[in-house]
Amino acid sequence: MPKFIRIDMATKTVKTEECPEQYAGLAGRGLTSIFVSNEVKPSCHPLGKYNKLILAPGYLTGTSAANSGRLSCGAKSPLTGGIKESNTGGTFGQKMSKMDIKAMVFEGIPAEDKFYVVKVTMDGVTFDEAPAETIGMGNYEAIKVLQAKYGPKVGVAIIGPAGEMRLTAANISFADPQSNIRSAGRGGLGAVMGSKKIKAIVIDEAGAPGVTIANTDAFKSASKRFTNALVTHPVTGQGLPKYGTNVLVNILNEAGGLPTKNFRTGRNEWANNIGGETMAATIEARGGKTTHGCHAGCIIRCSQHYNDKEGKYLTSGFEYETVWALGANACVDDLDAIAYADREFDDVGVDSIETAVAVGVAMEAGIIPWGDAKAMLDLILEIRKGTPLGRILGCGAGAVGQMYGLTRVPVVKNQAIPAYDPRAVKGVGLTYATTPMGADHTAGYAVATNILKVGGFVDPLGKEGQVELSRNLQIATAAVDSTGMCLFVAFAILDIADGFNALVEMINARYNLSLTGDDVVALGKTILKAERDFNKRAGFTNAHDRLPEFFEEECAPHNVTWNFTDEEVDEVFNF
Amino acid sequence: MASPVEIRAFMDLSSVFSSRNWPNPKTVDVAGQVSGAQLLELLALPAEMVEVIFVNGKAFTPENAMVCEGDRVALAPPGVPGPYRVLLGFKKMG
Repeated sequence: MPKFIRIDMATKTVKTEECPEQYAGLAGRGLTSIFVSNEVKPSCHPLGKYNKLILAPGYLTGTSAANSGRLSCGAKSPLTGGIKESNTGGTFGQKMSKMDIKAMVFEGIPAEDKFYVVKVTMDGVTFDEAPAETIGMGNYEAIKVLQAKYGPKVGVAIIGPAGEMRLTAANISFADPQSNIRSAGRGGLGAVMGSKKIKAIVIDEAGAPGVTIANTDAFKSASKRFTNALVTHPVTGQGLPKYGTNVLVNILNEAGGLPTKNFRTGRNEWANNIGGETMAATIEARGGKTTHGCHAGCIIRCSQHYNDKEGKYLTSGFEYETVWALGANACVDDLDAIAYADREFDDVGVDSIETAVAVGVAMEAGIIPWGDAKAMLDLILEIRKGTPLGRILGCGAGAVGQMYGLTRVPVVKNQAIPAYDPRAVKGVGLTYATTPMGADHTAGYAVATNILKVGGFVDPLGKEGQVELSRNLQIATAAVDSTGMCLFVAFAILDIADGFNALVEMINARYNLSLTGDDVVALGKTILKAERDFNKRAGFTNAHDRLPEFFEEECAPHNVTWNFTDEEVDEVFNF
Repeated sequence: MASPVEIRAFMDLSSVFSSRNWPNPKTVDVAGQVSGAQLLELLALPAEMVEVIFVNGKAFTPENAMVCEGDRVALAPPGVPGPYRVLLGFKKMG
């Protein structure tokens, strides 16, 4: 039977039980969100003793299926005050599945002021005091220290200095197969882990039984069709592997939806300098890797190894949203400077979207000049030092805006708005406004032909069809976030219906179920309703589902505004 | 005097432009108005290499695009990530 492990950090006691019946059919985001909704006191302080941090792999995580390496992390968010699911690649989730661990829950807070390493093996869970040298150390080095101590192949979940300081943009970092870093970035879950005095969790799968498959032949057959859909589709087979997600810079710039200078305009003249095409050419010229998988079994490989001018590894997982936030929104027309910043975000342990948007707000405040790469890097380094300004920046865009009395602060539910201007890409604007996560582009990312019932083309600049589009994207995404699959598989599922069918059939074959596409839609709805219900009990109302009022201003080049009425926005969650 | 059409090429199409020693953006003179298909023919680009033609920041399938002198045009091949193909109007749903 799958194990459900509850770890009380106050008493250092561990309860390993069979998975409770109410969670038996859940995994990934479905499990973390329904658990948080059921068992976390909605009014609790996110950094207090009543909050709980849950890690749960998806339905297919750890299987031989392509791209099945995702792990969901859930808790009440210290950034938004609402429910949070943040998911990641790396090796950790696959090891949990191979050890038949359905979920790990971290509860309570130690009375003593010291950090721990929680070690999880087939023999159980033990607690070590964190090695002194890892305290205050960057994540890259700290992972090396821990893998030297616990074994070179152990999975590692770790907080950096930002998590130790309980900053609300702190992330949880996870070692990838090369001991580089992937992150459960959004919502400040690193601060929750820090509040529980957990420096790191290491997981060693030695002696694990491996993932069991109820019907191996059916699984293999469906897996093959699923893989075929991914490798033959131009997005997952060509576009993402070659250019990464940064391929979107030029596309969004052309569409007039690339927010520039803290969301003043949707297009700029230097986008190509920071875009995926330039990035790929730079990587090739410096002997880096244009394609790299963040977990074993990834065949999309949208990550990369970006080297510095001397050809030395600098960063990976160099995503569109980070490049956008610094390169366009903060006007830093310098891909190398952005790469250094990205590495520092990973090393100090903060969400690169939240913090990079906060840099733009800091420029709005006049703390540093627009487009000044050196000043940007110096400012970001303040986080590691723990200076008052560094702590403000490490608490996100909303904190910077509040401290400096600004109104032009791009957040919803205090979470920074990512890289798509809601005035020019209206569907994503509705998702920013209404998702229970706070502004999050990945909350409405999954598209499946047999899930969506929206007909016709949607004009990104118009209102027609957008409510239904945002609703259906959010429902589909909540379901895909539960599978353990990278959300990018949905890019192929959009066009190749058999890919979606194969995904459902793999889940059925693993657990001996007979789910249909409709069941998957129902699961997505159930997850969203549980998340929204938690937020309601935490004090959220429809009034929190609103974009900042500066989006009433016109956005060039299309000169469009955010013009949905409150009633129209509220229709998104009318299901 | 008519102003030329300014054409940008993205992703693998940017490599095609550079392999032909074309600047990116490239300017092309058109007489009055041409269809998307005519524009691709003018550029000697096979239709299967282009999923969407942006005309002044709005996305059209090649068969629906109309390009006039002075327009800002961009060519996107298949391979733009999924949700954006819906959200930006590339893809018909349902």
